[in-house]
Amino acid sequence: MVSAENTLTASAAPALATTYEGDDIALLERIVPLVDIIEISPDAIARIGENRARLRPEVLEEYACVAANVQFIAHGIGLSIGSFDQWDEGYLALLDELFARVPLEWHSEHLAISTVAGESVGTMFPVPRTEEALDLVCERVRLIEERYRVPFLLEHVIHLLPEAPAEFTPAGFLNAITSRTGCGLILDAYNLECDAINQGLNLRAFLDELDLNTVREVHLAGGTAHHGFQLDIHSRTTGDSTLAIAGEVVRRAPNLRAVTFELLKEAVPLLGHDSIAYELSRIRKVISS
Amino acid sequence: MTTLETYQRGLLDLVKNRGAAPTDPYLAKVASSHGIVVVREIAVWWRSFQIGSQCPLVSRVLKHYGCFDETISDYFASNHTSPFVEELTDHFLTFLAGCDGLDSFLRSVAAFERALLRARAGSKERSEIYFDRNPDLAFEALGKGDTMPAADAEFRYFMIVAWDLPQMFRCIRKRIADFPTTCC
Repeated sequence: MVSAENTLTASAAPALATTYEGDDIALLERIVPLVDIIEISPDAIARIGENRARLRPEVLEEYACVAANVQFIAHGIGLSIGSFDQWDEGYLALLDELFARVPLEWHSEHLAISTVAGESVGTMFPVPRTEEALDLVCERVRLIEERYRVPFLLEHVIHLLPEAPAEFTPAGFLNAITSRTGCGLILDAYNLECDAINQGLNLRAFLDELDLNTVREVHLAGGTAHHGFQLDIHSRTTGDSTLAIAGEVVRRAPNLRAVTFELLKEAVPLLGHDSIAYELSRIRKVISS
Repeated sequence: MTTLETYQRGLLDLVKNRGAAPTDPYLAKVASSHGIVVVREIAVWWRSFQIGSQCPLVSRVLKHYGCFDETISDYFASNHTSPFVEELTDHFLTFLAGCDGLDSFLRSVAAFERALLRARAGSKERSEIYFDRNPDLAFEALGKGDTMPAADAEFRYFMIVAWDLPQMFRCIRKRIADFPTTCC
């Protein structure tokens, strides 16, 4: 087992990371001097061909061009670690390919279900906080840690549906996973804010209960409200209230390694390169202060 | 306690808006929640966004007919949808091109756009798609928001799509009178 706690060394201020999914060299050149790490989503840079997905070589080439200046981490979407029957082997094949081509500091996935009985859900469901789900997720985390000898982190997702019957509190479930497996956590400040707005999550109680020693990465993003729900669409810059949550985690999580500003590729033209660069500088100030 | 399998299969059916009303108490609560409506909208919105950006021709026709959102929503509910955009759009266009009850122009555009996307992706297959009206005039009308030309009484149009053609397609016009009666 590769323990995130043992492998990642904490530094005074967390590194700054952001998403880059290819096809926009001007953006890449703009962000590389501003960040320490580029987050790669294997699913987002893959293309289907000959009945299987493969990473797009032209995007890998873009990463190679800046490899001397930044580090890389992988953040998956499609593993579906909580599916009752099986996870997505296709995602692992993409991850194998990425590990073979790009040096990755760590990798992560959502604690979620995106495929059920082989059928894509079209979105993500949270994993219910039950003993049955805990056993299944922990066994899969163990397999991942055996397969890839770099730290593995899990990220909680937002809840839009009514609370499922649970045997753990939200923080207690994450604590159980990390203590059993040694994996680390990503805390998504915006997802937490969404849960507070949509589901009444008590953020103070959540952070007090969570073992913050296991938090290695914080995610930041901005989204929109729709029919009374705050949605985790990474389409905007980070709100001040989200930054305040992140700031608290930065202060309290002793092993935090990176803060990542996540932005959908589709949102880049809407925000513009200047706005993205400004956002990264703004986040840098907050996490360094 | 709802088992993982019951929970997941039940939620999938609810997102896809299919199957009988759930008897499991939690799933019944989800079924009547506002959250499931929002989750369904998000799932369909993503498919709409992907199809809208990858299939501009078919999307334009569907929007002209005023049934873009409804078509994507129905397609999502009744089909397995791939998370990979190339697979999603190819399947969607195949689905439309093969729908017997659909308008023949829409089906032709779907078949044409599928052939074009495949050719651009490197396929060496050669396709011939039949149109009942001049596709140039039809697309021009769509672009301007004008009334679509009616089916041509005198000619039929055959769009050849192949990787080795200039722009990967060519249109051939043939007089209907020249066809054997079993054709078209």
